[in-house]
Amino acid sequence: MTLFIQQLFNGLALGGVYCLAAIGLTLVFGVLRIPNLAHGALYMLGAYLTYFFLTTIGVPYIAAIGIAAIMLFVVGVGLERLVFHPLRNSPHTHHMIAAVGAMFFFQALAQAIWGADFRRMDTPITGELRILGAEISAQRIVIIVVAVIVLALLAWFIKRSIHGQTIEAIEQDRVGASLVGINPSMVSMLTLGLSALLATIAAGLVAPINLLSPTMGDALNLKVFAIIILGGLGSLPGAIVGGFALAIAETMTATYISSGVGEAVAFIVLVAVLAIKPTGLFTKAVQR
Amino acid sequence: MLTLDNVSTGYDAIDVLHDVSITARPGELTVILGANGSGKTTLFKTISGLMPIRAGSVEYEGRKLNRSRPNAIVKAGIAHCPEGRHLFGKMSVEKNLRLGSYPHRDKARTEEIFTEVLDLFPILAEKAKQPAGSLSGGQQQMVAIGRALMSDPSLLILDEPSMGLAPIVVDQVLASVAQINDKGIGVLLSEQNAKASLAIAHRGYVIAEGRIVLADEAANLLDNPEVQAAYLGL
Repeated sequence: MTLFIQQLFNGLALGGVYCLAAIGLTLVFGVLRIPNLAHGALYMLGAYLTYFFLTTIGVPYIAAIGIAAIMLFVVGVGLERLVFHPLRNSPHTHHMIAAVGAMFFFQALAQAIWGADFRRMDTPITGELRILGAEISAQRIVIIVVAVIVLALLAWFIKRSIHGQTIEAIEQDRVGASLVGINPSMVSMLTLGLSALLATIAAGLVAPINLLSPTMGDALNLKVFAIIILGGLGSLPGAIVGGFALAIAETMTATYISSGVGEAVAFIVLVAVLAIKPTGLFTKAVQR
Repeated sequence: MLTLDNVSTGYDAIDVLHDVSITARPGELTVILGANGSGKTTLFKTISGLMPIRAGSVEYEGRKLNRSRPNAIVKAGIAHCPEGRHLFGKMSVEKNLRLGSYPHRDKARTEEIFTEVLDLFPILAEKAKQPAGSLSGGQQQMVAIGRALMSDPSLLILDEPSMGLAPIVVDQVLASVAQINDKGIGVLLSEQNAKASLAIAHRGYVIAEGRIVLADEAANLLDNPEVQAAYLGL
């Protein structure tokens, strides 16, 4: 039982990280209608920048994540302006090729600055909490709490604020959105910036548990694509439920079966969803 | 005043509009009559910036709008309620309407127009919390007109608001269009139903194959034998 509770918290912490990363990707898909294959690279860049501010400059942990997140917002906006915007009228394959190009660029950049070796970001938050007899590391509690707060703020922003609503408006009807005066270019920039910001928060939260490397985004990329396909492309609740479900399934199979199966579980679920309900679990029917 | 001067536009290699010149005078209801495929929708998309202009000019209240984007054109006071309505189907009726106020985002003015829209279409008050996509065609048309009104326009462009609606609903929709116009908002309306639309209009144009073939006061058009033959079945 203690092991189960411990693993449940591990799963929730990992789930928070997956959610934050997956939501950005699903928003970008909804607005720009492209799978941003560079998403994992933005996550990686966010992790390194957090590391830089925390370790090299000596900024407090949460502030380091915040600064890195704002910087990545700018990087996301730049990516939209310089790469995706010029390609907005070209076929979809062009976006994907450009995104892969951007991914390699960011990886090479990180490698040039920080080297190809793994780096450890020391846990700034130490200690353990005893919950229901299980020892839970404080870092994991921080991940869960911050993830929940960020998700709640994001939900408020998208559902209640006028600027957030423009994101949903564009997703649901581009022409209709233009005609109510929404500028699709601005919303595309906002969405890519936001996705990079969320990915950085995810990366900064999980970095003390994992190691940093220029290719750390690749594994995450596969996972978050599995999550948004599982939840339905463009669906926010789908990304949240999918993120937690996948993370818990992953930690539980790793604990009770084997760690190898834990890594594979995402793809077993993905293949099953694609075979049974290819539109995802949270989309009612094929739209338009 | 909206003035189109020798406007041509089209898709790819094909011109759809040829040297179209029309004016919509402030506060008046101007109707564009034409069969399917005559260029009415293209004309409106050109005015609202959804389609680029190839030649000629579009001017509104002394400002050239040739290269303006749709969001700038709404700000200038022209609201376009498009063919196919283009509502945000999964959002509630209320959210759809409130997003219509995006160009000005003035809280007091938003509430004022919101109340006016619900007075105009009382059924929308009942359906306020329902997703717009779940409404009937006529009700969706009301949401689309209401959403366009929320931008506080001085000119409302309505692209065949009666299309696909039951005859009784058509009468209701056209009656509300007349009501909107009575409040002083200019209306540019496209219709196939010549009799009903000319009855509420001040001025009309007949468009065929992308060219304006007739232009006159609405009353004269109603008596015009060509219009009668082509659109009134007399």
